Amino acid sequence: MKKTLNINIGNSIILIEEDAYEMLTGYLNEIKFHFSKNADHFEIVTDIENRIAEMFREMLLQQQKQVISIDDVQLVIAQMGSVKDFENADEAEGGIYEETISGVKKLYRDTDDAYIAGVCSGLGHYANIEAKWFRLMFLVSFFFAGSGIVVYLIMWILIPRAATRSQRMYMKGEAVNLHGFIRNFEEELAGNQLISRSRGFFVELAEAAGRIVRTLGKTFFKVVAWLIIILGSCFFLAMLVGMAVFLGFSDANPNEYFPLNIVNDAYLSSMVFAFFVALAIPIIALVLFAIRVAFNSRAINRTVSFGLLVVWLGGVMLSIFYITKVASEFKEEAEFSQVRELKKYDAYTLTLDRSRFFSRADSVKYQINSDKYRGKVILNDMDDPYNLPRNVRLNIEKSENGLVTLTQNNSSHGKTFEAALSHAQNIHYDFSQQDSLLNFSPFLQLNRNTKWRDQEVTLTLKVPVGVKLILNEEMDLFSYSFDYWSCEDHGAPKAWVMTEEGLKCTKP
Amino acid sequence: MRKGILEYCVLLIISKGEIYASDIIAELKKAKLLVVEGTLYPLLTRLKNNGLLSYNWVESTSGPPRKYYLLTAEGKEILNKLDITWMELSYAIETSKQTKS
Repeated sequence: MKKTLNINIGNSIILIEEDAYEMLTGYLNEIKFHFSKNADHFEIVTDIENRIAEMFREMLLQQQKQVISIDDVQLVIAQMGSVKDFENADEAEGGIYEETISGVKKLYRDTDDAYIAGVCSGLGHYANIEAKWFRLMFLVSFFFAGSGIVVYLIMWILIPRAATRSQRMYMKGEAVNLHGFIRNFEEELAGNQLISRSRGFFVELAEAAGRIVRTLGKTFFKVVAWLIIILGSCFFLAMLVGMAVFLGFSDANPNEYFPLNIVNDAYLSSMVFAFFVALAIPIIALVLFAIRVAFNSRAINRTVSFGLLVVWLGGVMLSIFYITKVASEFKEEAEFSQVRELKKYDAYTLTLDRSRFFSRADSVKYQINSDKYRGKVILNDMDDPYNLPRNVRLNIEKSENGLVTLTQNNSSHGKTFEAALSHAQNIHYDFSQQDSLLNFSPFLQLNRNTKWRDQEVTLTLKVPVGVKLILNEEMDLFSYSFDYWSCEDHGAPKAWVMTEEGLKCTKP
Repeated sequence: MRKGILEYCVLLIISKGEIYASDIIAELKKAKLLVVEGTLYPLLTRLKNNGLLSYNWVESTSGPPRKYYLLTAEGKEILNKLDITWMELSYAIETSKQTKS
């Protein structure tokens, strides 16, 4: 005893045993899956179902029975063929009908009607113009700095020769019939060396040269593709490692260094990730394209590349969002200045002083008990320049009131004016006077965890006319309002004097 | 199966008059061209969508209506072209055979 089911297949009601039904559904699902890529899959599957229904009806009628059994289903499948049979058939089926109907024209070089490589006659076939007009055009262009020669060579390399009969038919725009068959036929003949077309010596020579150029060109592209693959992969890996290090080992505090100290800590990680996505995906795409060139194969399918595109767009949008967010932190600018009067001397020596007082920030940074070092000085501090871009400016001007003054102007940007002003106030700059020696710190300092908001210090030194200034060697670290380098003096300190017209160079 | 021959034969069979799919299959089996039936349906659909074939629904006594295929004007034209190509081809083959022996 077996359970039976009633099914509706191809608009017929068929009684079928349960195991037979399972086999049939499995088979139909396979077929549906196989044809799912086909645009007409619905119609094809319906036709097949109708035919199966018809076979069932015939079987029931012939064998005088009521129910379809598993043997019947097996017979039907054998007759209809398995999905594997369809796959074989797909390979064998030619697209000759598409080609017959389309009758499209393709651009080939016509070496049967050639003076050099058949480019002109090929163009003639393609454009339906006599080849002599193209030849005339190229001939004329040779007189314009020979530009036509380059164009001709490029076309020679890029346009394939019409080698087979079907290609020649394509070239002339004739409908190609049964071309697969013909090509096979021709290939067999070519393999047997039965035919060799005789052409002019010049054409043969040109053909050989063309082959060499094409091979070289292909090799060149392949080498470039390989380079892109190797370099791109290395770059990608480096980026990946860099990001992993950045996200994973934040105790190294990369956010204290420029330019990472521009970005607020709250979204630094996500911003770096967005940048990574926006940069890495084009590199991946480039590498994949290079793989395609190097191996003549497609590396990923359309869905994956579409997914990558979507992710990339997301990364780019997020990057733009963060960039505007960071840019908004620079919206307002604030500055304030303080003037200090210096003791008067006839001559001053300006030197660079890398030393600075040990600060609370240092005690945290170097993990030292600050009490022991209170009031102590760090000499030769080289760490800070990596913190910020060059940001101290020095102007030297004539004093109108006879006093020697140093004006320190602190400026900064910020989201609001108040924020900008507070950033400007947080700037720490070291300057000291020891008699006629003026010590300038090369850098301004920011408190720990202060973000870079384009903080700048502009110093203006005002001295009366007649005062001499000696600028020590290292003073070239500053930006000046006058031409610092115009005072060449063979390594000795640069000596200047203030005149009515401004600062002038003197020999020491 | 050589590329295109199956299509050529299907067109030839249909050109003899309106015909039902399973009769096409029977003819192809007789000609030892077709192993399994399943491959014929996608082919017919393709030819139909290319405008070479059309079909009519014809009522049958033993079940639902059946699709009967026939050639369109374009199909006939293509068939004529294929005939010419085939003759050229067989001429080429015959000639080659003669020169070889």
